[in-house]
Amino acid sequence: MSNILAKENGMHIYSVSELNLDIKRNLESGFSDVWVEGEVSNYYCHNNRHFYFDLKDEYSKIKVVMFYEANKNLVFQIENGLHLIISGYLSLYEKRGEYQLIATSIRPVGRGELILAYEQLKEKLEAKGYFAAEFKKKIPALPKMIGVVTSTGGAVLKDIITVLSRRFNNFHLIVSNVNVGGISSQEEVCQAIDDLCSYGVDVIIVARGGGSLEDMWAFNTEIVAKKVFQCRIPVISAIGHETDFTICDFVADCRAATPSVAAQIVIIDKNEAMENIMHMAESLKSYAENKLSASRKELKFLIERRIFRKPGTMLLDLWQEVENLKKSLFEKASSNFRSKHQNIGSILLLLNVKQITDKMSLKKSFVKNLLLTMVSEINKNFSGLKNKTGLLIKDLQANSPVSVLEKGYAIILKKDTATAVRHIADIEIGQEADIVLKDGILLTKVLNKISKKLGAEV
Amino acid sequence: MEKEIEKMTFEEALAKLEGIVKELEDENIPLEDSIKKFELGVKLSSYCLSKLNEAEKKIEELTKTENGSLVTRELKLED
Repeated sequence: MSNILAKENGMHIYSVSELNLDIKRNLESGFSDVWVEGEVSNYYCHNNRHFYFDLKDEYSKIKVVMFYEANKNLVFQIENGLHLIISGYLSLYEKRGEYQLIATSIRPVGRGELILAYEQLKEKLEAKGYFAAEFKKKIPALPKMIGVVTSTGGAVLKDIITVLSRRFNNFHLIVSNVNVGGISSQEEVCQAIDDLCSYGVDVIIVARGGGSLEDMWAFNTEIVAKKVFQCRIPVISAIGHETDFTICDFVADCRAATPSVAAQIVIIDKNEAMENIMHMAESLKSYAENKLSASRKELKFLIERRIFRKPGTMLLDLWQEVENLKKSLFEKASSNFRSKHQNIGSILLLLNVKQITDKMSLKKSFVKNLLLTMVSEINKNFSGLKNKTGLLIKDLQANSPVSVLEKGYAIILKKDTATAVRHIADIEIGQEADIVLKDGILLTKVLNKISKKLGAEV
Repeated sequence: MEKEIEKMTFEEALAKLEGIVKELEDENIPLEDSIKKFELGVKLSSYCLSKLNEAEKKIEELTKTENGSLVTRELKLED
């Protein structure tokens, strides 16, 4: 139909804009309050403000817009695949001639919006690592100042104080009073955490009693979760009852099932700690006493050894040996002289004698030095005895008969008197003797004695 | 050594004390060492006990003044 024909028939011809405007008016008045259910696809958020998506069912779809004014208080996130019920009105986007549903409110189908929001935030923060064990700070055993974020009006604070009083009578509590109910309290909770950190508490308990998901909502919000995560002081979360798990519980360094449990976690039991410390102090004392008495026994044994008990007789023995040496030297010299050099003159005799006596005095001074060294060693050991028990124990370990035995030496004991046999004169032929070795005792009888002096050769 | 203990936290001192008690259980420890450890252990245990009694019981409320500085005042709870 041509324009002219239409005009002739009295029909109105629209411009495109006019038609779209007319349709828009009709749509908006005819579908001013609709409810529609469907699944989200092609979700897109423009400039972090307006939401655009398609709502579809098996056969059909419709464009949906949710402007910032309507979506700013939405607790959960729109995502593709989400099953929603939307209320709003129809309108037309004139520029494109596309009609769309302007959403004024949205709720998820099948579960509450708070549960959905909770699940979404939990998943998001978990993926970001907010709940990871590696970020959990250790709760100090003995905090000087305990911070609590809660309402000073409720039973929660009383419960905490009751438990603290029982465990640790001289606790220092700093309470930051906040409104812990409803969505609006999230900023208050964050501020309280900041304030307690600045004031310098050592640990913070964030607590509230049980309630509905709405009541506890502040502790399921992202800003509280972030605040707790970023807090440089350990945070114990005690929200609701044992069966309530909030996002704050997951992010906190420690989750307490109830506020009373938080009070148990936050500080050690003073009586228990004192008992434990006293018990350790007692153990220290008894270990030290045992060690000392064992060392005293070892020392006594050492002192009773002959060299310490009668150093004089030991020296006499050594002198005796020197004298014997001297005597045998003379005898040897003179017998040599008599048998081989009878015809040699007195000068030669004198010469020989002089040589012998020189040798003798050399040997004598050697033995003397040896003795002096020994005496000084003994003296050193004695002064060591007085002052340094520790050194003595080392000496003892090195010199003890047991270690001699360990080295493969033996100790011979006379059977009848059980005294040590040091010289062949100490025991008679036919007498029985026990030879003590490191791994046992040999029972023996002396068959013969052959005298032989070590080092007696000239 | 004295100064080091003073710098320790309660947990550090307690852990050190527990370590010393364990070490002293060993009978082979030389006498001199055991006496040193005993002395250190005694110091640590009295330090830990003193830490337990350091604080004074206080229940306070944290508030902000008009200029934004943080102050505490005693908190009285109704029964």
